[in-house]
Amino acid sequence: MGRYVLRRLVESAVTFVLATIVIFLGVRALPGDPVRALAGEENDPQALAEIRRAYGLDESIVVQYVRYVGRALRGDLGTSARTRLPVAETIGHALPVTLQLAAFAMVVAVLIGLSTGIVASVRRRTASEWAANTVALLGLSIPVFWFGQMVILLFAIAYPVLPASGFVSFFSDPVQSLRHLLLPGLVLGSGLAAVIMRQTRSAMLEALGSDYIRTARAKGLGGAQVVFGHALRNSLIVVTTIVGLQLGALISGVVVTEQIFVVPGFGKLIVDGVLTRDYPMIQGLVLVTATAYIAINLLVDLLYSVIDPRIRVGGAVL
Amino acid sequence: MDALRRAAVLLVLAVTACSSIDSTTPAPSNGPDNRPLKNGGELRVALSAEPDLLDPTLARTLVGRTIFNAICEKLYDVNEKLAIVPQLAAAPPEISGDGKTVTIKLRQGLKFADGTTMDAAAVKTSLDRHRTLKGSARTSELSSVDGVDVVDQATVAIRLKAPFAPLAAVLADRAGMIMSPAALTAQGDKFATNPVCIGPFKFSSRVAQDRIEVVKDPNYYDAAKVHLDKVTYKIIADSSTRFNNLRSGDVEVLDTVAATDVDALKADANLRLLTSASLGYQGITVNIANQNGVGQAPGTLAAPYAGPLAADVKIRQAFELSLDRDAINTVVFRGQFSPACGPISPDSELSSDAAQACPKHDVAAAKSLLSQAGVSIPVKVGMVIGTDAQARRLGEAIQAQVREAGFDVELQPTEFSASLDQTDKGKFQLFQIGWSGRVDPDGNIANFLKTKGSQNISGYSNPDVDSLIDQARATTDTSRRRDLYGQVITKARADGSIIYLYRAKNLLGVSAKIGGVKLFGDGILRFGEAGFAVGS
Repeated sequence: MGRYVLRRLVESAVTFVLATIVIFLGVRALPGDPVRALAGEENDPQALAEIRRAYGLDESIVVQYVRYVGRALRGDLGTSARTRLPVAETIGHALPVTLQLAAFAMVVAVLIGLSTGIVASVRRRTASEWAANTVALLGLSIPVFWFGQMVILLFAIAYPVLPASGFVSFFSDPVQSLRHLLLPGLVLGSGLAAVIMRQTRSAMLEALGSDYIRTARAKGLGGAQVVFGHALRNSLIVVTTIVGLQLGALISGVVVTEQIFVVPGFGKLIVDGVLTRDYPMIQGLVLVTATAYIAINLLVDLLYSVIDPRIRVGGAVL
Repeated sequence: MDALRRAAVLLVLAVTACSSIDSTTPAPSNGPDNRPLKNGGELRVALSAEPDLLDPTLARTLVGRTIFNAICEKLYDVNEKLAIVPQLAAAPPEISGDGKTVTIKLRQGLKFADGTTMDAAAVKTSLDRHRTLKGSARTSELSSVDGVDVVDQATVAIRLKAPFAPLAAVLADRAGMIMSPAALTAQGDKFATNPVCIGPFKFSSRVAQDRIEVVKDPNYYDAAKVHLDKVTYKIIADSSTRFNNLRSGDVEVLDTVAATDVDALKADANLRLLTSASLGYQGITVNIANQNGVGQAPGTLAAPYAGPLAADVKIRQAFELSLDRDAINTVVFRGQFSPACGPISPDSELSSDAAQACPKHDVAAAKSLLSQAGVSIPVKVGMVIGTDAQARRLGEAIQAQVREAGFDVELQPTEFSASLDQTDKGKFQLFQIGWSGRVDPDGNIANFLKTKGSQNISGYSNPDVDSLIDQARATTDTSRRRDLYGQVITKARADGSIIYLYRAKNLLGVSAKIGGVKLFGDGILRFGEAGFAVGS
């Protein structure tokens, strides 16, 4: 177990270093001169040169990279070129917002996905399975930007029961927070719910056809005990993998949802950062996203070994 | 089955929602709004972009000027007729006989938001900071200023290197904003995080990419006229999201309504549309001689950017004659904007018949000019345009119109920042670009048409035009300036370095509950006297 964890940690560290290089070069490959984006409408050569110097953009790329990594390791992600507020502080404000939205969307997705997945596998060839499959298909095929606009039109404009935009922290006002999170959470979670539903259904079908389930039934166990105690538990390994992978995607996938619902989170920062060529901001954001991916993958790998002891045993001899 | 039922209910609701939104209740009048307003309340405003630094010396974005309007007043301002009027100054500037000293009397007893008093020393501190601070965005605007002297507690004298008529207009923008010296000293380079000036509101807080909040300032000299307790500016980049937020009541004011949303906004009884003609213009810049980069001496273009349009003024004139500005306005902008043939707004007191003269759409004349020029038809030319839907529609309209006369325009959609970079370097043939506009026409003309001007990406150079622009800067006589700008525009238009197309409108969506919002030609939103209507 210890060696397995160590090996995964080293792999993660290497991935992290590679990520910083890709992020740094990727941002610089964006078309357009960031100095022009910063200068607004003005085009005075002296002013442009001054901006270039002030942001260290007149240095060579290698010098810029070394400085960037040096500061990043100390937790300093630089200063936003747009607002001149510290990037780390700005991300610090945005990250809890996105995490709350992602967590809420995940809860929505798991509730919808698991329940419809179980129904679809247990009640085969009934209207319930058909309905669950339809929901999954819609969840997968409806684009987020369209779904988002539709729920706003419906629940914020035509029947104004929920706010169209904004965010309130769960920790400051839980009721208002849920009101603000409901629409973006539903939109963000819908695609993931469909994925979870399909995975749950197929894993459950496989489990329900297994010998140990037949044995359990033969021993006289009730339907609920068989489904939840045996089939679902064994199916959860696949579902957990999907949830883990999708949590990373969810954090970066909030880009569209946050734009539509004007949620001041991570996704909105990314879009606005790219539009304004805010190099330090984009670098900081992508670095945090990459770190989140690496950390979540690591976490999921470790969770495997808790849920399924065979992986822990296998890992120990690696 | 439940899921199925839910889906069906949702679908029915969606259809009902769409039909109720499309209702065609007549909009209230956009005329003068004299409803009584109540005190108190928070106004929520959706802005289209994030302002940059909230420091008048360092700020560069146009959207930032709306925030400054609430918290940082200027020595001068413009009124609804775009005439320059004193704001923190007590009277119009007095100009010495040689035109090189401008004396400004200040209002007395005014207090900054931190409670300190504004006096001549504070004005000098601010103007000197605008001129000399490293990274200042005001340096070039104030480049004509040689020094600022404190005459007495309520008077400053600005020494100029040469007479400069647009100075009052410059001081009616960010270069005329006066900051609290105490706050400047206390905050140093962090002033942008907590700006302190004089205004109906004072800065309260800012969350990057989300919101900026300002609250009523009890120290403001006209605080009795301020109705609102607080204004929150929310940043919403997407135009349809902004519009949805206005319709849902999540914001009360929407900056920059998309031309395509205007009809829906007018049809909503709960909303009003405020408009004003923009001071700027949109047009097509022709690369005539930008071989060496903007701001450098013109050269001879090489392939692939050289071509008949750059080489022959007759072909540029043919291109202009083949454009139908009215049709562009109708087709692309649903008639919301106005055709434009020059850089000066017709509302400017320096506008004249010569400045607004416009050739009629004449395909036959265009064809005749092309045949006189002896070029082979079609004349191929590339045009850099933006990447948004409106830019594409405009590009396609231009492409279709000039095809009739014999031009084959290749549209080159390019991301905005990249297009600026590319065209600065002269790597283009035509570029569809505009300018937001300045109160004094010099701001719309000099940098674009003077030889080696900082925005002269055409590489245009005409010594007569240069001389006329300098003369117009040096005289303060309005009728003389009007005449000189008329001459500048007549000559420049004949040379065709910029083909002016249309003048946009500032379009503001406002909840019917709100009164007292002012929108002038400068496009800045003024909420100093705004408030919620009594009974709303």
